[in-house]
Amino acid sequence: MTALIRLRLTGLTRTGRAIAPILGGLAIIGIIYGGGPARPTEAYGLAAIVLFPVLAWLTKILLDVEPDTQRQLSVVLLGSWRREILAGLLAAGIASLPVVGLSLLLPWIIGGVTLSNGGPSLLPALLLGLWAHLIAVPPAVALGALSSRVIAVSAGRAAAVLAGGVVLVLVLGIPGSPVPWLAPPLLSVAHTLADIQVRAAPMLPFTGWALVWTGVVLVGYGWLRRTRT
Amino acid sequence: MRLSGVWFRYARRDPWVLSDVSVKIEPGEIVVVQGHNGAGKSTLLQLAAGVLHPVKGRVTDRPHWVGWVPEHFPAEQPFTVDRYLRAMAAVAGLPETEASSAVQIWSHRLGLVQFRQTRLAELSKGTAQKVGLAQALLVAPDLLILDEPWEGLDAATRDQVPEIVNEVVHRGGSVFVSDHRGETARLPGATQWTVEEATVTAQTPEGVAPWIIEIEVPAADGPATLSKLKADGHDVVRVKDQRAARHAAEAEEPA
Repeated sequence: MTALIRLRLTGLTRTGRAIAPILGGLAIIGIIYGGGPARPTEAYGLAAIVLFPVLAWLTKILLDVEPDTQRQLSVVLLGSWRREILAGLLAAGIASLPVVGLSLLLPWIIGGVTLSNGGPSLLPALLLGLWAHLIAVPPAVALGALSSRVIAVSAGRAAAVLAGGVVLVLVLGIPGSPVPWLAPPLLSVAHTLADIQVRAAPMLPFTGWALVWTGVVLVGYGWLRRTRT
Repeated sequence: MRLSGVWFRYARRDPWVLSDVSVKIEPGEIVVVQGHNGAGKSTLLQLAAGVLHPVKGRVTDRPHWVGWVPEHFPAEQPFTVDRYLRAMAAVAGLPETEASSAVQIWSHRLGLVQFRQTRLAELSKGTAQKVGLAQALLVAPDLLILDEPWEGLDAATRDQVPEIVNEVVHRGGSVFVSDHRGETARLPGATQWTVEEATVTAQTPEGVAPWIIEIEVPAADGPATLSKLKADGHDVVRVKDQRAARHAAEAEEPA
């Protein structure tokens, strides 16, 4: 399975198709930071929200980069469609990590954050920012997988799943929503991190919430993949 | 490997491509599946390979190592032949040294040596098909599934296919081949299956005595029935005119 993960990551980098979403996402984050230096935790909470559609799109690109027949060949060679699915999801998760790193680094490079506005000191702020970004990765990978070609089949349907999924996550997840649990807790995390008094966000419940949401979406993805290799 | 009561269709509202198919392939057996375009040959092969899953029914006793050569090799990939084959060997679980050795052996046998540093997308269709064949053989398969293996290959490689098939069979493996070009003669002794109207019919392997089935039709339908049987590829062994036979029998009876 490691070999398949490596092959898919190599395919992604060699085709260069990942550049557009990554540059687009980082540009939007850059624009957000252009409003003046913010507290790192506040900035990172917002950046994680922006990163969500970027990572979902990146996942879709990674899963779609190989031809359908090649994916089927991988199923035969691995002897298991479940392992092929897992390899795709893990590859998408790994591909997300450099983007998370860039997103954490970017505000310091362009002067979008400052520690002089109060809030946590550098290390706790960085750790909270990293956590906010990391809990966006599994839900983004799950949504990206649902919009991949093997499930969505047509480009139009894939775009509808991806864009519709992102809009729903933002609308349903907004603080005060009657059904916030229908979306991963990205907006709730950003809201919590925007608090100047934040020292340690309720990391465990939010992490659990994000993982449960991801699990539910991935069960649906796996169920659909039973008949779609 | 056994397919038991297998039903398959690609979407809920689609017609069944295969309905209630129950067949088995024994170790050491070669099965050639025939049928017109769109009959469901590739679907049957993909069910056997594990690429498709039955909507109803079960596929059991699938051997551990399956080599599948799809009808069209997916050449639109950003790898050289060498990089691709090494990666496929690694995906199959071969350690690096064994992978390297397997790639070298099959590159030589299938005439891919000069293309090892060529990108897959730049290969001719025939050479890409050879890469497809090579990836299925990197690990000696217990079940080799070849979807139209003669399609697009040059004469030299077409001649190699029966040789490769026999090697798999001599190791105790099975081979499952689809063929619509009538190349079956290259695999003497193979069991013949026909896919037609969503069902699979197994014919007797060459060298085994065929069945002789007597049928009775009204005399007026005789010529048309004969033509249909011949058109369907049956050998008409004998035609008996019952009236003539009855007259002869009556004439012999004592008054």
